[in-house]
Amino acid sequence: MTPESGSAEIRRGLALAAVLLVVATVLAVPLLGADRYLLKVLVFVGINTIIIAGLALLFGYAGQISLGHAAFVGIGAYTSAYVVEHLGAPWLVGVSCAVALASAGGLLLAIPSLRLRGHYLAMATLGFNEIMFVLFREARTITGGNDGFGGIPYPEIAGFSIDTPAGNYLLVWGVALAVVLLAWNIVRGRQGRAMRALHGTELGALASGIDVVGLKVRTFALSAGLAGLAGSLYAHCVGFISPTTFGLEQSVIYVAMVVIGGLGSLLGPVLASAALTLLPYADALIPGLGRDVVAVLQSWEADIYGITMILVVILAPSGIGGALARARLTVGVRGAR
Amino acid sequence: METAELLQYVLAGLKSGSIYALVALGFTVVYSSTGIINFAQGEFFMLGGMLSVFFHGAGMPLPLAGLAGVLATAGVAIAFERVALRPRRDAGPLVLVIITIGASMVIKALARHAFGPDELGLPEFTPGPSLSIAGAAVERQSLWLWGLTLVAVLSLTWLYRKTKLGRAMRACSISHDASRLMGIDTASVVMVSFGIAAALGALGGLAVTPLTQTAWDVGGTAGLKGFAAAILGGLGNPVASVVGGLALGLLESLSVAFISSTYKDAISLGVLLLVLFVRPQGLMGLVRREKV
Repeated sequence: MTPESGSAEIRRGLALAAVLLVVATVLAVPLLGADRYLLKVLVFVGINTIIIAGLALLFGYAGQISLGHAAFVGIGAYTSAYVVEHLGAPWLVGVSCAVALASAGGLLLAIPSLRLRGHYLAMATLGFNEIMFVLFREARTITGGNDGFGGIPYPEIAGFSIDTPAGNYLLVWGVALAVVLLAWNIVRGRQGRAMRALHGTELGALASGIDVVGLKVRTFALSAGLAGLAGSLYAHCVGFISPTTFGLEQSVIYVAMVVIGGLGSLLGPVLASAALTLLPYADALIPGLGRDVVAVLQSWEADIYGITMILVVILAPSGIGGALARARLTVGVRGAR
Repeated sequence: METAELLQYVLAGLKSGSIYALVALGFTVVYSSTGIINFAQGEFFMLGGMLSVFFHGAGMPLPLAGLAGVLATAGVAIAFERVALRPRRDAGPLVLVIITIGASMVIKALARHAFGPDELGLPEFTPGPSLSIAGAAVERQSLWLWGLTLVAVLSLTWLYRKTKLGRAMRACSISHDASRLMGIDTASVVMVSFGIAAALGALGGLAVTPLTQTAWDVGGTAGLKGFAAAILGGLGNPVASVVGGLALGLLESLSVAFISSTYKDAISLGVLLLVLFVRPQGLMGLVRREKV
């Protein structure tokens, strides 16, 4: 056995152990008697994990900025809610429609990305988000307008309704883990290398024989589809949706999560999204925390996100992911980032 | 539709169009000398209105409060450029986009803390009954808006054509390195550009507050519309920005008249996407920019 294959085996073992540890922790949380509030907050963390994993692929790896991801979440949420509540379809059909329609939206937005870069793509996606926001608000017969869309049934699989906080939590986190593993596989493979090449220089990627058009279109569709999936989970776990959840501000927050987590990293953005999602609900994790402290955190949420994002870009452009990679190098475990 | 009624829609379109034009001019000034699209431009529009309301509320007479509001907004923009953008000036466009997005989040959130969540207003610059043009009513404040837009575009054109600073700004739009070799202090040019752009946006925010009121969250839409106007006309040219702004305002107003008021924002932003896809250099742009 050569030393290289030995270290590769150790690394694979460590990765498997890490995955098992995460799964065990996820399973243990409801068994340890976490209260309803904490479980609900953790459902939000899981949903954002799915969105951020998709955005990290598109923005962090392939370098295509999207300031329209909240719109894809909204498309998924409204599609699924409408199909299940008004057309009486089972939840799994609702989810499928949500993913399909959000992916179609992603394809639509991939068209400008074939011509536009940087600033212009950012503005085009921002415009897309605002247009969808107007539709969510005004297409009242489908979306319920500003009054919102309520009474959405819980997720149900084969006639079994997942209507407890613990059930919702396990469902969302199960999906989130699967999505993160999928994204992890993508970034470690040929597609991931192609994405990084595209991020580095589009001309260089083209010259190396990468199908840039296909890659952009696929990545946009996948990323939007994951956002649609998260939207469906959100709609059915929370039971109520309204346009404000899917506005520009939310899209900006998603981009902030990826930037703080680090461009070109998967674990970093996922950790950043968990931390930023938990911030306004800090009292769910720290039981003794006073109401006033939480109120301050909630009211200064946007300031904290914005300032952190600027500081990260100026002082530590590789974000949390970069810090993790450096830490891993110093403990001597070599590996691809 | 009667002529007077149609004229009323046209005047309303030109009114909102001149606001878009002022915001668009700000995008154009920053883009010309830096190549950056400043995502915080809409927040300068918001700050102009809010700070003027604040100074007015503190007891300043209206003209002084407006001037103070515009200058203070320019100060915020210059500070932002100096503190947040200059350290990463040489980074790629994506990084600069992220910094200006972060700034817009922070400015907006701080404005909510400082001025509260409510809508605020200002008195009209010259109070009085509406004027009548061929049966259509025109608020006096609209005349101020048009006048200020005209003054802004004329002064900018003069600045670019006749002054040393304007020539330095135009040189920077071609090449920063070459400009520096010619002895131009490019860092100062960029800083001044941000100040001018913010002042233009703030002027729009100030002039519109007596008509529509203002609040901490008006910046996002204003920025998006202003950018759509700048793109529609052709980014980088002041006259084109104003034409783009007025065209966008007219388009919105006529879509209200003939289609529906519900989807007016969606229609104007749809035009933005269409122009971006089909003709990114804008209606009046001649050269296709390499950056697009």
